[in-house]
Amino acid sequence: GLLSREDFQRIPELAINPLGDRIINAFFPEGEDQVNFRGFMRTLAHFRPIEDNEKSKDQNGPEPLNSRSNKLHFAFRLYDLDKDDKISRDELLQVLRMMVGVNISDEQLGSIADRTIQEADQDGDSAISFAEFVKVLEKVDVEQKMSIRFLH
Amino acid sequence: EDKEEDESKEEDNGSQQNRASRRKNYQRKNRAGKKAGEEGSQKKDRGKTAPTKDQKESENKEKKTTKKGKEGENKQKKDRKNSASSASSNSSDEESLSEEELAMLMEQVEQKKKLISTMRNKPWRMVKKLSVLREAQDFVEKFEGALGKGKGKKLYAYKMMMAKKWVKFKRDFENFKTQCIPWEMKIKEVESHFGSSVASYFIFLRWMYGVNLVLFGLIFGLVIIPEVLMGMPYGSMPRKTVPRSEQATAMDFSVLWDFEGYIKYSALFYGYYNNQRTIGWLKYRLPMAYFMVGISVFGYSLMVVIRSMARNANESTADGDDDNFIFSWKMFTSWDYLIGNPETADNKFASITTSFKESIVDEQESNKDENIHLRRFLRVLANVLIICCLCGSGYLIYFVVKRSQTFSKMQNVGWYERNEVEIVMSLLGMFCPPLFETIAALENYHPRIGLKWQLGRIFALFLGNLYTFLLALMDDVNEKLAEEDVVKNLTHWTLLGHHNSSAGNDSTVTPPPLDPADVPRGPCWETTVGIEIVRLTVSDILVTYITILVGDFIRACFVRFVNYCWCWDLEAGFPSYAEFDISGNVLGLVFNQGMIWMGSFYAPGLVGINVLRLLTSMYFQCWAVMSSNVPHARVFKASKSNNFYMGLLLLILFLSLLPVAYTIMSLPPSFDCGPFSGKKRMYEVIQETIELDFPLFVAKIFSYVANPGLIIPAILLMVLAIYYLNAVSEAYQRANAELKKKMQMQREEEKNKRNNKTSTNPMLQDLEELLTPSTKTESSPREAGDKKTESPNGTSLVRKPGRGAALDGSPMASGRGAAFTPPSQVFVTQPRTLGIRAPYPGQPRPWGHPPGPVPGRGRGHPCY
Repeated sequence: GLLSREDFQRIPELAINPLGDRIINAFFPEGEDQVNFRGFMRTLAHFRPIEDNEKSKDQNGPEPLNSRSNKLHFAFRLYDLDKDDKISRDELLQVLRMMVGVNISDEQLGSIADRTIQEADQDGDSAISFAEFVKVLEKVDVEQKMSIRFLH
Repeated sequence: EDKEEDESKEEDNGSQQNRASRRKNYQRKNRAGKKAGEEGSQKKDRGKTAPTKDQKESENKEKKTTKKGKEGENKQKKDRKNSASSASSNSSDEESLSEEELAMLMEQVEQKKKLISTMRNKPWRMVKKLSVLREAQDFVEKFEGALGKGKGKKLYAYKMMMAKKWVKFKRDFENFKTQCIPWEMKIKEVESHFGSSVASYFIFLRWMYGVNLVLFGLIFGLVIIPEVLMGMPYGSMPRKTVPRSEQATAMDFSVLWDFEGYIKYSALFYGYYNNQRTIGWLKYRLPMAYFMVGISVFGYSLMVVIRSMARNANESTADGDDDNFIFSWKMFTSWDYLIGNPETADNKFASITTSFKESIVDEQESNKDENIHLRRFLRVLANVLIICCLCGSGYLIYFVVKRSQTFSKMQNVGWYERNEVEIVMSLLGMFCPPLFETIAALENYHPRIGLKWQLGRIFALFLGNLYTFLLALMDDVNEKLAEEDVVKNLTHWTLLGHHNSSAGNDSTVTPPPLDPADVPRGPCWETTVGIEIVRLTVSDILVTYITILVGDFIRACFVRFVNYCWCWDLEAGFPSYAEFDISGNVLGLVFNQGMIWMGSFYAPGLVGINVLRLLTSMYFQCWAVMSSNVPHARVFKASKSNNFYMGLLLLILFLSLLPVAYTIMSLPPSFDCGPFSGKKRMYEVIQETIELDFPLFVAKIFSYVANPGLIIPAILLMVLAIYYLNAVSEAYQRANAELKKKMQMQREEEKNKRNNKTSTNPMLQDLEELLTPSTKTESSPREAGDKKTESPNGTSLVRKPGRGAALDGSPMASGRGAAFTPPSQVFVTQPRTLGIRAPYPGQPRPWGHPPGPVPGRGRGHPCY
């Protein structure tokens, strides 16, 4: 009843995804190589569609895992490798290299990264914090796109 | 022990209320369980609490606060409730629960429903959840019906059940409707491999198929079927019979292929229809129907096209204006997580790369310092060349059509001469577009604009061809009209002569009628027009299919199999696999439809041919795309072009309406064929119908309405209404833009409030500066100095970094960014860079963002 990384890599959609390895890592807790069903579910719980009645539930309890904020946090953690709550220029460069490969020169990649930071950065620390990340994706329908719907 | 677990694990329903009620329900269920069966007949749908859940949720929220207070009451009323519930479960109609008990019961039911809806979130084990769920569902079923009062109980239960069933039915019907959409899976497959732009062509094709199907239904049901069923059969009249001279060859395939012979004298063409005013025992007015169907074909198409355009416009205004985060969005949201096919993934990589490159190019393009004069000269040259090409092709078509007229008079024409017109037009359509593309390379436009120019030119090419063809056809028609007079006389005298000769022997016997095949026939110009258009359409279809077969499939086979023994890499080099030519195909479809519209009045069967063509085309092209095309290297955004194609369609519709309207209004119909034969003009059928079939006052009304004195003011009124609506819509757009600006300003204010903790109002800022001069004396002169030096350049640091202003520190950017940013904003939003820029004017910053920490924010900080 345990999954390992090789099992995940057999999924074609994950295998060809440039961020596939990072997504797989998100399933496994710190330093471990196996994930049980509970852990698997916990990660997948981020992708539950947001239901309307949940918004009216009491705010006292902890936020459910599939709230918009938590979904964005999940995505944020994919980019923020050193877990300092900021996406730095280097992390962006890494992502770019994975997405685009060798087809664009390094200098242009650097420019793209700089440009991205400039668009998103609001407090001028040349890194994208979580709040800025949320602001960037404000207009994106995250609730819809980061949801897996079964039998709906 | 379950109940203790409940109490300890209860999280979201913190109220003890629910626990108490559940305990009660457990007991009540046990007691009343035997009697559940009595109520069971009324409640069929289990667990369909969804529809009422939402409305109960809002009630729940209010009741939550009151619930806690009532908890104590509930415990006391437990026994009374149990007896009441067992009494109610006896389902006797006279039994009426008291108000209080009713309210209690309703509350309980709602609690149960809420429990059911939130069941998934509870951190219990599966077994427990299932049992609690079943229990709650049973309770709801049993007692929901009991909520109605007295005699209305059953009705209430019935209503609830019907409401649930209705919702279920609606949902199933929606599912069914979605399943009924034809070719959905096929299109989805194409979309997943080739992207949304290629799929949009197929969606357009499917939409066209739907429209044509409706048109075909109209024409077939209202014109062809009545004539075939109730009209005179073949051979009974001259117009319906193959003339004696042609009968020998009427069945030959070559003659049939040219739509002569038996096909010409069939219901497919105008000439077959009889001009009898009413036919059959239903007294069906066929000429009137023919005319009205012809008009409604155009009316329906117009309505459908405009409705589709309006819908597209609605969607496109929804997401238009977010160029704030171009690069961020590309970076974070460009991967399509639904791709599972490795080849598609490779293409997605390539398209992401290209998209980044395009954005970079976009940014740099505006900074390009190019020789304007050279560019203008080249563009003018290119346009001149292309206009020459267009004129040349127009003249070629005209010449060829003229030649074909002389050929038709000759005998022994070869296959080439007979089909020369169609061949030439198809060849032009095949070779001119690539020619235009190569010439357009001179112009050096942005690719999106270049595409629009290309489409416009191809459109002009096809239009020019089509209209030249039509003009030549008009010459033909005029000739035939002249001929007609001659034949009319001839027919008249022949009939008279036959009559006399046969009656010469015996004047009392009625003469045998002349065999219809022998009557001299007029040159039915409408049928000729119909035949020409049908021939053109058929050849167009054939050329398209052959092009796909050869250009895509054979090419793909060649590249794949011959690649092993060829000098250079065929797949990467010259022929390689074809990409799906979206714009060419869409234009082809649009023009084809234009021809159908033009020809459907004279050849009712044309729409049927088109329906067949679209059907086969869908399957054939889907197969061709999947088997021999490769996805585009450059993925186009589909949504913006869609209205462009609809606009073309609308234009073609209007243009194809013109010839038909002209011929209806000004040409006399042939004297011996078609439903309008014998009339002076085709539209006279309307007057005839109004006079003979409608009561008198209708005729009077129509005569008043048709008065130009009424029509011209009506047209003026409509023009004014259009002007007014246009002005209103512009005002709305302006208001929209203003609101957006306000919202953005507000957001900026908030952000600064959060960050700076100072007021962002420039007047208040000045006030602050005056009030606290001591702390700011060092920084303010510097900042004042900065402000002065930076104000001309300051607008380059815009709020909308998407303008690319900061990509280069050059002053050129300020021109672009200045349009939207009021100067006060600059000081507010960019204090950090103000501080930096002044001390380091010469610092090279290619991308405009200071890499280091930001010292210039000193305005607010010293205060704190």
